[in-house]
Amino acid sequence: MSAPSKIIKICFLLSTFYFLFSFWNSFAQSEKFFEIRAKKFSYTPNIIRVNKGDLVRIRLISEDVHHGFFLDGYGIRTSAHPGQEGSLKFVADKPGRFTFRCSVTCGEFHPYMVGYMIVGPNSRFWMYGGIVLGIGVIAFLTTFLCKKQNVQG
Amino acid sequence: MNKNKERIAVALMILATVVTIVSVFAIENFKRKQFYTVELIARSPLNGNWISRGKDGIWHPRKIYVPYGKEVKLYIRNIETVSHGFALPDFNLDPPINEIKAGEVVIVKFMADKKGAFPFFCTVWCSNEHMHMSGEIVVE
Amino acid sequence: MSKDKLFGLVDLSWRFELTKFKLIRALFKSRWFPLLAIIFNLFIFVIILIAGLIGGFSAGNYNFGIMIVWILWWVMLMFVLVPIFSRAWCLMCPFPIFSDWLQRGALFNVNTGKLNGLNLKWPKALKNMWVMNILFLVTTFFTGFFTVRPLATFILLGGIILLAFIIGIIFEKRSFCLYVCPVSGFQGLYSQFAMAEVRRKDPEICKNHKVKTCFVGNECGHGCPWMLAPFHFTKNTYCGMCLECFKSCPHDNMGFNLRPPGVDLLVDEKRGLDEAWKAFIMLGIAMVFFLTMQGPWGVLKDMVRGASLKGYLTFISLHSAFSLLIVPAIFFFFSWLSKLFSGAKEVSLRKIFTNFSYTLVPLGLGVWIAFSIGIILPNGSYILHIISDPFSWGWNLFGTKNFPWTPVFTGSLGYLQGLTLVILYLFSLAYGFRLARQTYPDEAQAKRGWIPILVFLTLTTLAFLWLYIG
Repeated sequence: MSAPSKIIKICFLLSTFYFLFSFWNSFAQSEKFFEIRAKKFSYTPNIIRVNKGDLVRIRLISEDVHHGFFLDGYGIRTSAHPGQEGSLKFVADKPGRFTFRCSVTCGEFHPYMVGYMIVGPNSRFWMYGGIVLGIGVIAFLTTFLCKKQNVQG
Repeated sequence: MNKNKERIAVALMILATVVTIVSVFAIENFKRKQFYTVELIARSPLNGNWISRGKDGIWHPRKIYVPYGKEVKLYIRNIETVSHGFALPDFNLDPPINEIKAGEVVIVKFMADKKGAFPFFCTVWCSNEHMHMSGEIVVE
Repeated sequence: MSKDKLFGLVDLSWRFELTKFKLIRALFKSRWFPLLAIIFNLFIFVIILIAGLIGGFSAGNYNFGIMIVWILWWVMLMFVLVPIFSRAWCLMCPFPIFSDWLQRGALFNVNTGKLNGLNLKWPKALKNMWVMNILFLVTTFFTGFFTVRPLATFILLGGIILLAFIIGIIFEKRSFCLYVCPVSGFQGLYSQFAMAEVRRKDPEICKNHKVKTCFVGNECGHGCPWMLAPFHFTKNTYCGMCLECFKSCPHDNMGFNLRPPGVDLLVDEKRGLDEAWKAFIMLGIAMVFFLTMQGPWGVLKDMVRGASLKGYLTFISLHSAFSLLIVPAIFFFFSWLSKLFSGAKEVSLRKIFTNFSYTLVPLGLGVWIAFSIGIILPNGSYILHIISDPFSWGWNLFGTKNFPWTPVFTGSLGYLQGLTLVILYLFSLAYGFRLARQTYPDEAQAKRGWIPILVFLTLTTLAFLWLYIG
């Protein structure tokens, strides 16, 4: 096959290996504490990273009005008034990226007040990424290996 | 030509549009007549503070005027984007309320069985001026 | 011609005619359908407008207008109406009812003869998606307002229905629906992927039918208000499923069919840069919307909601540049690579660019469906509140006024989004390769020319995957 095709085939394989390699990196479990400040309409820090199995503690502080905190996937919530904090304690047993959202109407952009908690390794992402990449590679190969094409690629 | 069917179609159109608009406001009007209804708008002191309107149709800032001896229905409407609260310690509010969320209307009833002036205030931190978000109910 | 099977499973020429069932055909032929559905939606629309006006500047999540339009209707459109039923929303849309009434002089009956109004022809140069592309993009500039402030939704929807009426007085028939309505643009393009269609059944009958009543109209039905020729149109793009042709055809030769998704993408007619740009704009908007509204960056949200004028202007310029220039430029680069790899000298770059832009339709739909999942699962519960208390007057029509905000299935959100992207990515590949063979005359050229596009689709899918669940 032609040179550009060879290069592309190698790139695909390298990326697939990279994805698989990252997937296998594992981290030690520990306790993690986050002080999250809520202000219209975002959180600080807005992205928190923990490892699967970590014991996570969150202290929610409101800097202006009554804000809430609901964690997708875990279904737990708390809220904070200015001067009155909220707290959460849980084990991050589900891997993936989960959105935490404000659960108390705090202003017009309330439905968009979100942050992310990433529980690594983000196996959900790597799995789908791997599937997409795998399909791409298969599509590439079947293009050149089959005589008559009716399937994808 | 289907004259009758055309008439039905036009009637449905009018039903869906004009009749809907008229009904919506008529139903609301009727609901408000059954009690001594007062509309109370919740605003933080930065935006004007409480303001109410009763049967006299006049907006009263930081005051609510109700007649003695009547059952009062208070429509507390939060037109802002933060939560407010409401407390009226001298009367029994039914149902007991704490928070009125943004865009919400909370209805409370109470019996105006005491004459005089009584304080009411916001019970949810809503702004830097929250401590000054208060008013007076006058029963006469 | 050999049987072309999608994924080796479904014959691309498979059609299942729903209107072969007597009840369905009777429904489609009745002048009450879709008139009654339209009137019902008009009623809902009136409530939306009242709620929007009364709601004013209060928070949108307790407002009937905002919740019904941006949570219920928008999600239904992306999830069910367009991918499955093509332009079924257009079938029951209340926007043109006032101008239709004026033009036809009747709601139910058919007046044969000239239509009222000025009946001007839409300018030929604008008989494409460009006006809708720009209008849709401009509408998205205000997403930080009309999705959260009831009054803004009132102004937007009230403005659109007013515009529909004005255009209906001036121009002929459904010119508004065809060339102006912002909703029409993306429905038009994505309906090419839909699993349903309106088509004529037996071509022989049409051939022998001298007066094409489906086009000119008769006492049973109006001539196609979308100005298509029902007896031979081949793509869903400009058919609004108004069903007049079912009523006016004396031979009952129109059919409503289920079909495999995406077959219109292979129909090599009326392809154009306007549709290519629509595909780019939809992808660009999805990315910008997700970053600003579903992302965790407060600075972006401040820009979108106009917290500062400078931030807002930055947002609309970057947003426009991204959808109108950057995404197309990246795709142009891959199209150029396609031509280079293929070695085909006689196929124009413009044709390659245009043809392959249709591979973005399945993926684009997948991106928007995944986006909608992220809206409905966390926020769908608001709908129970607003149907009971639509105007925030303290009503409780269905007893659900106090239903609390309840996100559902949030643990599955990421999986569903990933799955959606993968499935639609597969469709993009399936059609992409077929488009390659349409574009390049030689099989070997098609295979080589396909590779850069395959890479682009894969990278784009990975990018959205990372955005949504990474």
